[in-house]
Amino acid sequence: MTTNSAAISEGWVESVSPRAVTKGSSILGLQNLTKRFGAITALENVSVDINKGEFITVIGPSGCGKSTLFNIVAGLDSPDDGHIAHHSRAIDARELLGQVAFMPQQDLLLPWRTVLDNAILAIELEGTPRAKARAQALKMLPEFGLKGFEKHYPHQLSGGMRQRVALMRTFLFRRELMLLDEPFGALDSLTRSMMQRWLLEIWQHHERTVLFITHDIDEAIFLADRVLVMSARPGRVKLEQRIDLPRPRRGDIVTSEEFMAIKRRLLAEIEEESMKSFAS
Amino acid sequence: MKAWIAPIMRGNSFRLALGVLAMALAWQLSVVLFKVPVHYLPSLPLIAERLSHYPDPFIAGFIRTASEMLIGLAVGTLFGLLSAVIMQRYRMVRHLLLPLFIISQTIPVIAFGAIVVMWFGNSLLAKAVIAFYLTFFTITVNTLAGLDSVDPKQISLLRSFGASNQQLLWRLQLPSALPAFFTGLKLAVATSLSGAVVGEWFGDTTGLGVLLLQSMYNEDTISLWSAILLVALLGSVCFGVVAAIEKRVLFWQHKQDINH
Repeated sequence: MTTNSAAISEGWVESVSPRAVTKGSSILGLQNLTKRFGAITALENVSVDINKGEFITVIGPSGCGKSTLFNIVAGLDSPDDGHIAHHSRAIDARELLGQVAFMPQQDLLLPWRTVLDNAILAIELEGTPRAKARAQALKMLPEFGLKGFEKHYPHQLSGGMRQRVALMRTFLFRRELMLLDEPFGALDSLTRSMMQRWLLEIWQHHERTVLFITHDIDEAIFLADRVLVMSARPGRVKLEQRIDLPRPRRGDIVTSEEFMAIKRRLLAEIEEESMKSFAS
Repeated sequence: MKAWIAPIMRGNSFRLALGVLAMALAWQLSVVLFKVPVHYLPSLPLIAERLSHYPDPFIAGFIRTASEMLIGLAVGTLFGLLSAVIMQRYRMVRHLLLPLFIISQTIPVIAFGAIVVMWFGNSLLAKAVIAFYLTFFTITVNTLAGLDSVDPKQISLLRSFGASNQQLLWRLQLPSALPAFFTGLKLAVATSLSGAVVGEWFGDTTGLGVLLLQSMYNEDTISLWSAILLVALLGSVCFGVVAAIEKRVLFWQHKQDINH
């Protein structure tokens, strides 16, 4: 990524984000990202523009490099090639560390901290005094269905509740971009669809930008403004599907004709990729 | 002895009392039934009589040995924790120091004790140093293992929140290492006590170790057993205190085990 500074001076930034802007200005522009681990190419020429207020879902077969992509966007890993622009300013991947609210697959709650103290972990690390952080979190509890549970410990909660605590931690860490890595993957399907609708409400209320990884095609369509379908290894963005279903979306939208049409189209693409990764 | 210490680990003081009582009963019964001579195993009332008639050397010895042990244990614990944190942070230091630590532990305490007495004389400090020598290593090794076993995903998460190394240490690594640390500490309680007792054998006038040695030379089995029981009492009380603290501090651990 040392080539980045050179890229700025060559006016590379101006050529970025040729795509139509839907909601707001570009928060994060990823251009031709490539990442290799030894002989394996995890990502190849991945380009994505993330605009303010957008809800983007990423779907693809296992091992398509979704997690690698997330680690790069979270600032935890650097690509071998490619450019990253944050608010149209070229930056090094590592500069994104602490700039993005990241929520991994597992809730990763600290077992010795109460619900409230787990929720404030990120803003506490940022330097918010504990008392102030707690007061902030206490106000958010009802919205996350955790009212009255502030003094509980993670081992006293159900899977869905633990996930909501982790989400609350992510929301409290006020960053423009939220990265959610299969947050509902471990939940049963009823809890899952409830959580999806709830997440959309919260998202609209808090006006955040979300990049969301999932294995579930219904979930990908239901939540998104845009669905990115990734290819089997090496991971590439195979298809970018805009989802124009009206919002707010109700649970029964998944049975509508438009939804089905989109799903059929995406399924065909994903199936092809799954077959590829299955065969290899 | 470990079999009846174990119940404390589960925090069941009733069962512990029952175990001690059963053992005392078995002791007393076998002495009476099989008419065991006093110089093999004295009866418990004889020991109680000795302790109540001549309490002074035993009380002084108990306090002395307890002080040696606790000073050694405290310094050893702090040193062990600190060295574990430093070794975890700096690979270079780990590769340099850990082998030296291991070599230090291969030196028999007898050899080491002689040197310490030559350096520090027949002082309380000398015994505390020996207790320390037998303590810090288990703390270092266990804490280091605990620090190493922190989930890398957990570290990545905190890093993504912009955590500094120091925040990572206090908020995540040290709390995560606590279970392993307490395992080390419980072992260290036992070894620090042996260190203090053995240290006294290099020469001193007070202490439970001194009483053990004197009783042996005098073939005074009643005093010998009195001293042994007091050493056991000291060890188990300290162990019980550590186990109780552990249970309080690690409240989240045992409950987690039930859940998973």
